[in-house]
Amino acid sequence: MVDQAIERPPAVWRNRRTVLRRGRRLRSHWATLLLLSPGLAWLALFVLVPLGFTVMLSFWKSTIFGTLPDFQFGNYEQIVAQPLYRDLLLKTLRISLITTLISLVVSYPIAYFLSIQPTIRKVVLALLLFLPFWTSYVVRTFVWLPILGTTGAVNQFLMWLGFIDQPLEWLLYNEGSVYLGLVYVYTLFMTLPIFLSIEKIDPRLIEAAADLGAKPMWIFLRIILPLSWPGVLSGCIMVFLLSMAAYVTPQLLGGPSGIMFSNMIAAQFLANNNWALGAALSVVLSAIVLLLLAGAGRWIGVQQVFVGGRS
Amino acid sequence: MTTRRARKFDALPRSYAVGLAIYAAFFFAVLYGPLVMIAVLSFNNSNVTGFPLRGFTLAWYEKVLATPEFITAFGSSIAIGLLAALAATSLALCLALGFRRHFPLKTAVFNLVLTPIVMPGIVGGIVLLLFFGYLNLRPSLWTTVLVAHINYVLPFAFLALYPRVHNFDRSLEEAAMDLGAQSLGVFWYVVFPIIRPGLIATFLFSFSLSFDEFIRTLFVTGYDRTVPVMFWSRIVDELTPELPAMAVLIILVSATTSLIAVVVSGRAAGVRQNG
Repeated sequence: MVDQAIERPPAVWRNRRTVLRRGRRLRSHWATLLLLSPGLAWLALFVLVPLGFTVMLSFWKSTIFGTLPDFQFGNYEQIVAQPLYRDLLLKTLRISLITTLISLVVSYPIAYFLSIQPTIRKVVLALLLFLPFWTSYVVRTFVWLPILGTTGAVNQFLMWLGFIDQPLEWLLYNEGSVYLGLVYVYTLFMTLPIFLSIEKIDPRLIEAAADLGAKPMWIFLRIILPLSWPGVLSGCIMVFLLSMAAYVTPQLLGGPSGIMFSNMIAAQFLANNNWALGAALSVVLSAIVLLLLAGAGRWIGVQQVFVGGRS
Repeated sequence: MTTRRARKFDALPRSYAVGLAIYAAFFFAVLYGPLVMIAVLSFNNSNVTGFPLRGFTLAWYEKVLATPEFITAFGSSIAIGLLAALAATSLALCLALGFRRHFPLKTAVFNLVLTPIVMPGIVGGIVLLLFFGYLNLRPSLWTTVLVAHINYVLPFAFLALYPRVHNFDRSLEEAAMDLGAQSLGVFWYVVFPIIRPGLIATFLFSFSLSFDEFIRTLFVTGYDRTVPVMFWSRIVDELTPELPAMAVLIILVSATTSLIAVVVSGRAAGVRQNG
């Protein structure tokens, strides 16, 4: 009773506070609008409008006189019908899928390894893991040239050992070197979400299973693997999307046979001067990405995919 | 925490644990091997980019630092990085503060903020190329490149700041308000000092992201190029012997900035992770 008397402020105060709160709430709507408007204005002007413009341009017609306003599906028909574009799209999908699978196989053990380390060592190792990915991916792709090239580490080492007389030419500029480059550049996007999802697993589940006599293999297969599934899924989506959009790696390490979809998009602007087709190719690539994210978003939050690193 | 990890570790038989550790060593060797090798090559006294090693020299660093093209691009990248980081951090802070309240279409707005990094990087560059092209705006460092960089960095800055601002103890603000502080006063004296490390870390991360940005810049670059675009034009052209030294210098800038950011934020892992 006494406590209540102390807690309850006099009626006059209470009214004053309520009035103040209500005023604050009214003002807060305007404050929210005011806080959101600069960022939203920026995004509308420099992201949405250019994007809308690109979609519009993808229906225009590129001629020798420039890109003429029109509404026709010629550019899209070309992408679907001509083997040059269709096959490249399929090849890009295949390369991205294989890159994703390799990344998963490479990343899962390291994510699991990190999660079972004692705290200090875990922090240090995680930092060591992130550090290379916080530097330029152009540079991280470039480093493979002096490794796989004719004067590169691998060739020179093999020649020094006497296994070969001539440098191997096939180490670089093929699909294999693209896989190597992509996995090297994007693996963190797989490792990080898997690591975070393993970290979230309640250790009591593992203890309970162990106490009940489950073998380590079964604990891994029946508890850790299923519960880390969301991380695996976000990692796969992230690596797949990044690989679909890869430009630097195929251009630098792929050679003519390792070219991917983005290189074709770039060629429309940097070489062929076919802006309408370039816009249509960009829309196709973006549509694939958005469809995949929308589909995956049903199982995991879209924001969960973007857990770290850069593209 | 320690006991919890210890239990997890115990659950693994010794042979598995050893195998895993060997794999981890291999993984880190592959991760760092190429970077260590490029650093070694940058000191190699040879006119060939590659092996064999022919002695130690600092000549390639001297050559890079005496290349006007590199120095100009370096200055441009630093300036663009600072401006883009400042703009993106400010915009992201406003957005993150706004996101503390409920408002209509919140999910849609959240997705809009993430759009620039959801879109393939190359498309992010091309939409700006087309947009500015049809506005007859000539590509240049301070217009098109800056816009491309702010577009790219903004979502990351938002994702970094959002949990900081979101997990902020609201009762501190309410206390300040009940004591008579106005909104701006509450922000300046209560909110800002608490989220300051997060802001600095976000600024540094934004800078490092901008410093390394390549694909969007490639399509909107004018006469003045940024470091990655200049580096790219060199490596697709010819493998000249000073390139490893240039690569090392580029790595040093972004790695150092990111490391400082981690130290500042006091969180070793997942600063860019959203909670």
